[in-house]
Amino acid sequence: MIAENTQTQMRKGILEYCVLLIISKGQIYASDIIAELKSAKLLVVEGTLYPLLTRLKNNGLLSYIWVESTSGPPRKYYVLTDEGKTILGQLDHTWLELSNAIETSKNKP
Amino acid sequence: MKKTLNINIGNSIVHIEEDAYEMLTVYLNEVKQHFARNADDFEIVTDIENRIAEMFAEMLNEQQKQVVGIFDVQSVIKQMGSVKDFETTEEGIPVDVPPIMPVYQAIKKLYRDTDQAAIAGVCAGLGHYLDVDIRWIRLVALFTVLLGGSGVLAYIILWIMIPKAETKTEKMNMRGQETTLRGFASIQLEPFVAQSKGFLAEFFEVIGNFIGGTGRIIFKIIAIFIIVTASFGLISLFIALVAFLGIWDADVNNYFPFSIINQEYFNTLAVSSFLVAGIPLLALILFSVRVAFSNRDVNKTLSFVLLIIWLGGVAPLIFYITRISSEFKEGAEFTQLTELKVYPEYTFTVDRTRFFSKEDSLSYQIDAANYKGRKILTDLDDEFKAPRSIRLWIEKSTNGKASLTQNFKSRGRNFETALKNAQGIHYDFQQKEALINFNPMVHLIRNVRWRGQEVELTVRIPVGTRLNISKELNRYLNGNNYWDCDHGSQEGFTEWIMTEEGIKCRHEVMNPENN
Repeated sequence: MIAENTQTQMRKGILEYCVLLIISKGQIYASDIIAELKSAKLLVVEGTLYPLLTRLKNNGLLSYIWVESTSGPPRKYYVLTDEGKTILGQLDHTWLELSNAIETSKNKP
Repeated sequence: MKKTLNINIGNSIVHIEEDAYEMLTVYLNEVKQHFARNADDFEIVTDIENRIAEMFAEMLNEQQKQVVGIFDVQSVIKQMGSVKDFETTEEGIPVDVPPIMPVYQAIKKLYRDTDQAAIAGVCAGLGHYLDVDIRWIRLVALFTVLLGGSGVLAYIILWIMIPKAETKTEKMNMRGQETTLRGFASIQLEPFVAQSKGFLAEFFEVIGNFIGGTGRIIFKIIAIFIIVTASFGLISLFIALVAFLGIWDADVNNYFPFSIINQEYFNTLAVSSFLVAGIPLLALILFSVRVAFSNRDVNKTLSFVLLIIWLGGVAPLIFYITRISSEFKEGAEFTQLTELKVYPEYTFTVDRTRFFSKEDSLSYQIDAANYKGRKILTDLDDEFKAPRSIRLWIEKSTNGKASLTQNFKSRGRNFETALKNAQGIHYDFQQKEALINFNPMVHLIRNVRWRGQEVELTVRIPVGTRLNISKELNRYLNGNNYWDCDHGSQEGFTEWIMTEEGIKCRHEVMNPENN
C-alpha cells in the first residue's frame, strides 16, 4: 500500500515535468503528447491528461492555440508560456538535484 | 439491423448505433460526475468529448464504415480510460475532499422481458420487478387463469400497459442493475444475437405478425361491421326516443311495460334511457373508427366527456327506477261478491268480444255518448298490453247458492294508494243464464299505473253442479290439473262435476272402472 502510494506520488510529479518537457519542444496536440507519454510508459489512459493540461494552463504555465485540422474540427495545440519556461528551468534544476540525490543514495557504499 | 442515432459530439455529427449510444452516454455521464468536483470540469469534459469525436472519425475512416458501433465505443473507452483509471492516477484533486458518490441508483422499472417471454414477457418482467423467480409468477398467473379466467384479462391489460424492454438501458432498469459501465459490462456477456424465445413466444409472434399484416384487413372488416351495427342501433334508439316523446299521451303508455312508468317521469326516463344505451354505442363507433382507421390514440377528453354524459343518464334512471319500485311497497285488496243464478249445468267461456263499458270508451278515446252497442275484440294472446293477472278457482259452495267472488289486489307506495290502484282495475264477466263469459284481460282505468294489479276470481257452486269449461280458460285456472281431463263430448271444452271432495273430471266420476 505504501509502496503503491509512493509510486503514484513519484509518477505524478514526473508526469507533470514530462508534459512540460514535451510541450517545450514546440506546439503540440494533446493526443501527440499522449503518444509520447505512452511510449515513455508514463501514462496508460488519455483521460488523465486532460485535467492535468487544464490545471497547468490555469496556473499560467501553458496556453493553447486553435489550429485548423484537415479532418474534423480545429484542434487545441499547447505551447509553453514564458512563465512555463521559467518553471521548466526550475524543474530541470530540481530534477538534476533529485537525480544526483538518487545516484548518491544508490552508489554510496 | 440496428437503429442508429445522430449525435453531435465535439462539434461533429456522428452516426451511432443505439446500444453504442447508450454505452457512450453512460460513460460520459460517469466522466462528468467524476470531474464535477473539479473547477474546470466543463473544459476537461469538452476536451475529452472533442478527443472522442476525433477517435470516432479516425475509426470510421480506418474501417471504411459510416456508423459507430458498440465495439468502437468500447475501444474508445479503453483508450480514454474509465473513471476507475482516473482515480488511480488522479491529478489536482485535493485528497481531503470526500469523493462524491455517483448519483446513479439502481432504478428498477417495470418492463416486459421479451427475451425470456413465454407469451409477451409480462410474467418475466413482473418477476424481475418483484425479485421473484419467474416460475412462481407463472404459476400464480396460471392459477388465476384456471380460477375463472380473470388472469387472461389481467395479462392482456398488462401486455398493453407495460412497455417492452428494448434498449440495453431499459433492460438494465428492468433487472434493477445500475446503469453504469459495470452494468453494461455484465450485460455484455450475454450474446447479442436474440435468444431462442421458445415455442410459445414464437407462436404469439407469428400471430402478432399476422394481426399486424393480413390480419389488419380482417380487423378492419370487423371494425366496419361494428361501426355499421352500432350506427344502426344508435339511429334506431334515436327514432325510438323521438317517437316516445312525440306520441306521449297516445296509447303506448297504457301498454304493459310502459304502463308501469308514471306519466310525469316518462320524458326524463326516455331521455336518460337513450343516453344510457346510446353513449356506449357512440363510444363504440368512435373508438372503432379511431383504432381501425386513424391509428391515433383515443382522445382522453372525449372519453371523459362521454363518461360524464353517460353517468348523467344513469343517475336519473336509477333515481326514477327507485322511485317507481318504491310504489310497489305496500299491498291492498278488496273483495266483491256477486251471486249467480243457480243452474244444474254451467258453461264457462272466455269472451273475446265484449261490449264497451264507459271506461272502455274513455280508455280507447271513443266518444262517450256513442259507445253503447259497440264491441271490441280483444286478442287473447296479446299479453304485451297487460300481464296476465287473472286467476280462477272453482270451489264447492257450502250454502247451496252459486256465487262469484272477485278479489282485486294491487300494490302501492302505501295502503291507501295500493287500494286506489286496486280500485283502478277494470274487470268484468257476463252471466247469460247458464253461460258465464270471462273477460280474458284486466284493464286499468286511464291514468292508473300498473302496480302489480291482479284479479282473483273464485266461483262457488253447489255439489252436483255440472260444468263445461272452455279450454281457453285452462290457463287461468288454479287448484286442479285441468289439462288432464280431456274426454269431453264438446269440441274445445272439458267436462266437470262438483263433488263433496271438490271439482272432478266428469268422465272419471261417470266411468270409475276406467281408473
